[in-house]
Amino acid sequence: MTLALLLLALGTFLLRFLPWRAEKGLKAGQAGPALVVALFLVSAFGPPPSSEWLRALLALLGTYMGARLTGNLGLAVFLGAGLYGLLGLL
Amino acid sequence: MKRGLRAAWPIALGYFPVAVAFGALGAQAGLSPLWVQLTSLLVFAGTSQFALVGLLAQGVPPLLAALLGLLLNLRHAFYGPALRPYLKGGPVEAFFLTDEVFAVALRALPTLPPGERRGYFLGLGLGAYLSWNLGTALGALGAQGLLAFPGLGEALSFALPALFFLLALPHLKNPVALLAGGVALGFHLLGQTAWGLFLAGVIGLLGKGLGERRRP
Repeated sequence: MTLALLLLALGTFLLRFLPWRAEKGLKAGQAGPALVVALFLVSAFGPPPSSEWLRALLALLGTYMGARLTGNLGLAVFLGAGLYGLLGLL
Repeated sequence: MKRGLRAAWPIALGYFPVAVAFGALGAQAGLSPLWVQLTSLLVFAGTSQFALVGLLAQGVPPLLAALLGLLLNLRHAFYGPALRPYLKGGPVEAFFLTDEVFAVALRALPTLPPGERRGYFLGLGLGAYLSWNLGTALGALGAQGLLAFPGLGEALSFALPALFFLLALPHLKNPVALLAGGVALGFHLLGQTAWGLFLAGVIGLLGKGLGERRRP
């Protein structure tokens, strides 16, 4: 079992390290923006489509307003998360 | 580094409850707190850690469980090349390269003077790492009751989607990013999130080539 843990740790590290280090390796293209948008969508909207999506959308709106009003990423995340928690109590 | 550590707090906020849940899952699966903690200390990749522990608990052979965990992490291969124009990746930087650290760094590094980028990235990664490991320790030691306060666990679980949303906003007019996001969401709804994210990375790579061919 410990060998499996070490294999996963080493493999994950190499997946992160080798493509980054390789000067003539993989060209990123638009992989960065593509992955950021993909990470957002899969983290915010869990399957299957449900009323939870509306709650998430409202909390994202709160996050957006927080970012516009404060200009602070961390504070906006805090506000959005707080709103999401409050909506769950309704 | 201090600037990076300060920038890490939204990630830390989001990581904490997930890490507590991971620690608790490991304990419930009958794994020792030390082994569970070692997983967070050495792997530092949430999805694959959940998969490893979950599969082991179901009696899947350990090496197969590790290989399946690695498949879930294939998308990480795209992160370094996307950051390469702004920061050369060393072993320590690569160790900290999670989804969330990547997304924040992609936004912040281009705005920083080159001399400050490494310190910022290391601070960001360290903040995320400390939160992940603190949460794992508390969960493994049975402190998941910390999140029992009404609404708190749910609120914290939304910190990472909110963070990704703000980081994705500048890219929502990018057709390649939207296509990749749509494909990832489609696979996610079918229960194949890891493959969807991997395909999103592939679409991002191909998108550059298509864009270049269209130019006169």
